[in-house]
Amino acid sequence: MKAAVFRGIGQIEVTDVPMPEPEPGEVLIKVAYSGICGTDIEAFQIGMYEPGLVIGHEFAGTIVETGPGVAGWRAGDRVVVGDLIPCGQCRACRTGNLGACENIYMIGVTHDGGMAEYVRAPAIGLYRLPEGVSMRQGALVEPLTVALHGVRRSRLKPGDRAVVMGAGPIGLLTLQCVRLAGARSVIVTEVDPTRAALAARLGATVVLNPLEDNIGVSLSELTDGLGPDVIFICTGAPEPFADAISLVRKGGQIFLLGLPIQPVEADFFSVVMGELSIEGSLAGWTEFSAAIDLIAQGRVDLDALVSHEIPLDEGVVEWFGRLGAPGSGAVKVLVRIDDSVF
Amino acid sequence: MKLASLEYLEEVRRRSNADPQYLELAKGHNASYTLVLEAEPAKGVNETTVIGFTNVDGKIDEVWVGKRPTDFILTAPYGAWVDILRGKMGATQAIASRKLKTQGSFMQLLQGANRIIRWVEILRTIPTEFEGDYAQYNLPGTP
Repeated sequence: MKAAVFRGIGQIEVTDVPMPEPEPGEVLIKVAYSGICGTDIEAFQIGMYEPGLVIGHEFAGTIVETGPGVAGWRAGDRVVVGDLIPCGQCRACRTGNLGACENIYMIGVTHDGGMAEYVRAPAIGLYRLPEGVSMRQGALVEPLTVALHGVRRSRLKPGDRAVVMGAGPIGLLTLQCVRLAGARSVIVTEVDPTRAALAARLGATVVLNPLEDNIGVSLSELTDGLGPDVIFICTGAPEPFADAISLVRKGGQIFLLGLPIQPVEADFFSVVMGELSIEGSLAGWTEFSAAIDLIAQGRVDLDALVSHEIPLDEGVVEWFGRLGAPGSGAVKVLVRIDDSVF
Repeated sequence: MKLASLEYLEEVRRRSNADPQYLELAKGHNASYTLVLEAEPAKGVNETTVIGFTNVDGKIDEVWVGKRPTDFILTAPYGAWVDILRGKMGATQAIASRKLKTQGSFMQLLQGANRIIRWVEILRTIPTEFEGDYAQYNLPGTP
């Protein structure tokens, strides 16, 4: 079967690999769509995956085979797979802290993923896609869970003013989740004009360009001189992390969803003086059911995020290069693997 | 050589510093590391072993058995280190899946993935004796 395989820094190859076979407790999924994620791009740039790994942790497909001991699932079921699957047996899991599992299974990161014609996955990580949620939308469930998890973990309250820094896929989904959570205003900062326009279309109160606008003055004007209650950082660029400390209101929160590759210098004097809270969140494995419901109810717009759709055997390697550089003009690139499903 | 003995560490230094591919990948890398091999009494590994080394411009400069302050600390049960050396589990996979716990800059560690992968390949060439039940996996090594 065809699969996108990570070979090392700057090396992705679409090639033939052996067909996976489901082990006990696992299912075999025929993949319909798989998204290229920012984490995959960072791995492409710095090499944090094991060479030989089939990438892809944002995908949707149909079960074609169940392994021994699998109950409640059958061939033909339309599914997505949770991105973090705790082992349930280690010290962290036994104390109820499943997110800190010491033996975590991350499909497409620690184990072969879904940017392939077929993928095997543990049945305990499966979520059913209801009628009315397309496979295309299904491939975006995972990034929606990341945004949803962040917003739910944050201190954001109805009526708060929020800022979302970075309008990539996670930023645009965070914007929508912040609106769902009842923020009175959501200000987005973004330099890319395509992404900025999309943020405005998806409900941003104001979109600011950090290269052209004075963010500090603008935010002060837009928040009655107080500063925003919560700033969500949805970019890996280092500057916003340092800037946010001086922009958030006293007693406010800076919430990290982006993965900064480089160490960030921060003014912790201001953190103490302003009694600020800084918090991060990893993935969104607890939010899959809620995310799927929100999509089914039409309360989030996922289709607007898909800027490019490409087949597996054409352009995947090229897009990994393009997405790693500024000005790609892309938002979310989806890889279409099974042409018979939509 | 017994895994994590001073004799073993000296051999690690000798082979690493003689490997052009490793030296090229490690060029400019300066950091100190502690590796903790946690005891597994149920598997016949009764003591936790702590070792360390420094990298100076990529070369392994100093090695030791015991605790010293270092930039990075990597901790895993003894069996996880054996799995890595046997090739049963990749080093970056071990870090990502948290089987190998890290202290220090996580991203800096992962950024050195190519260097780490080559280094583990070098370690696999060293004749290595494992403790307890893991002795069945002793590595014959290559010259």
